[in-house]
Amino acid sequence: MRAAIIPALTRYTYAVWHRHTLVWRRLIWSSLTSNVIDPLIFLFAFGYGLGAIVDRIGGMDYLTFVVPGLMAHAIMFTASFEATISAYARFHLQRTWDAILATPVTLTELMSGEMLWAATKGMISTTCVLTVGWLWGGVPDPAGALLALPVLALGGICFASCALAATAHAKTWEFFAYFFTFWVTPMFVFSGVFFEVTRFPGFVQALAWFLPMTHLIAVVRPLTVGIPLDTWAALVHIAYLAALAAAAFALARRRFGRRMFD
Amino acid sequence: MQHARNEPVIEAEGLEKYYGTVHAVRGVSFTIPAGTCVGLLGPNGAGKTTTMRMIMGLSRPSAGRLRLFGAAPGALGRDLRSRIGLVPQEDNLDPDLSVRQNLEVYGRYFGIPAAEISERVPKLLEFMQLAERAEARVMQLSGGMKRRLIIARALIADPELVILDEPTTGLDPQARVLIWRRLLDLKRQGKTLLLTTHYMDEAQRLCDRIIIIDGGRVLDEGTPQDLIGRHVRGHVFEVMKPLPPGFDDDGIEREDIGDAVLYYTTDPTELRRRLPDEATYMHRTANLEDVFLRLTGRSLREGS
Repeated sequence: MRAAIIPALTRYTYAVWHRHTLVWRRLIWSSLTSNVIDPLIFLFAFGYGLGAIVDRIGGMDYLTFVVPGLMAHAIMFTASFEATISAYARFHLQRTWDAILATPVTLTELMSGEMLWAATKGMISTTCVLTVGWLWGGVPDPAGALLALPVLALGGICFASCALAATAHAKTWEFFAYFFTFWVTPMFVFSGVFFEVTRFPGFVQALAWFLPMTHLIAVVRPLTVGIPLDTWAALVHIAYLAALAAAAFALARRRFGRRMFD
Repeated sequence: MQHARNEPVIEAEGLEKYYGTVHAVRGVSFTIPAGTCVGLLGPNGAGKTTTMRMIMGLSRPSAGRLRLFGAAPGALGRDLRSRIGLVPQEDNLDPDLSVRQNLEVYGRYFGIPAAEISERVPKLLEFMQLAERAEARVMQLSGGMKRRLIIARALIADPELVILDEPTTGLDPQARVLIWRRLLDLKRQGKTLLLTTHYMDEAQRLCDRIIIIDGGRVLDEGTPQDLIGRHVRGHVFEVMKPLPPGFDDDGIEREDIGDAVLYYTTDPTELRRRLPDEATYMHRTANLEDVFLRLTGRSLREGS
């Protein structure tokens, strides 16, 4: 069953993904509203609050610095939430997964559909942040920002896969408190969303480079700002995201396999 | 492609299942021919659910052989599963979707083309009398409607085999009668049904054959009439204790159930003749419930 640990792209995967889009479409206005208003609040608060104190950071104004950070944060938070709390509700509370596994859909396809949907939902958030940030005047290189989108999508796949690996180990809702405290919050504060990673002492920086968020921001920020990006460094960051995604998905698949089948 | 009639849809041979040291299924064998309705009866913990999970490919037998439509389900083959509709015991309808969407989305899980799905869904809603509630949310449905929707959902891919795990538990008599009628319709269409239930009247009414299991073993199987004849004769006399003096019960099959004794006989006139006038008793035709209790015992099961 070696092949089963790699995400699958079939019409059955698409059927699961499609199911999620139907639910999303029913709540489209509330989700889009929060997708747009959230970054507006962030930009307002940090633009006026921190921006007033921090004149320039890394050779740019604070708004330009923080927009790519908020884009990465949007996909990280949305994908992580969708593949933990929401996926766990479907798996554990609603038993939607049991219903799906009684059909020709395989567990790998079901999980791939969940993972790709979480990444998709993250991409919707991040695109809203990009649009708002660009209109606000925080995206000097719009072409570069478009180039950053596929990288953000890979980030979304990575965050969703890591979140699924956590969900696969969850026995109660309380478990997710650990996930958010030890995984999501550190990526929010240590990975360079609001200030540069280099401000931290060495050991914190070392820890920060274990987090996929740090690698994602390291690629996305130069692209939206329009400053040179070292190709080899970018490839290493991208490879790290891809490798972590693959490992997390395989771990999640193994664990869910034991929970769904006996 | 409909399976040829009377060819076995399910063949189980010596199925065993261990959960750690718990021996849940201990050598279960049975055959389910195409086009029949078979009832799998047993008290809670008898091994019914595990057996069904093995048929669905969710549980791997520790030993024994299982064949579905003549093939081994071990590899969880897609083509095998697309020929089975499952009606689970628990309500796992999709609460985020409408009644109609529940069927449409489920059809996609079976890889059915969209055009075909939109053709089938109204027919299924009509068949299960849900057409007026097509746009309702699942949460707004009564228990009976939910069960009907779960059955409609199981039929979306026009399966040859429908597995129903306690399809009418907790429903009112009207809702049960409607579901029974529909299940008999399915039988008429030539579908194979495998059913578990705790309602013996339901099993007697729907099933061509009954398999009674307990403790992970098949205790007996046959038509409801065979089983009644074999285990409880045809008539039951429940005679209250204390038994009247002078009652000659020699040679009559009996079972002491505490405050009364049950007598099983094929000849009610003869037994009535033997009973003294002062005896307090109740006479009725024997049914499947008598068989069930006789074979599986009368003590309460854990989790009952």
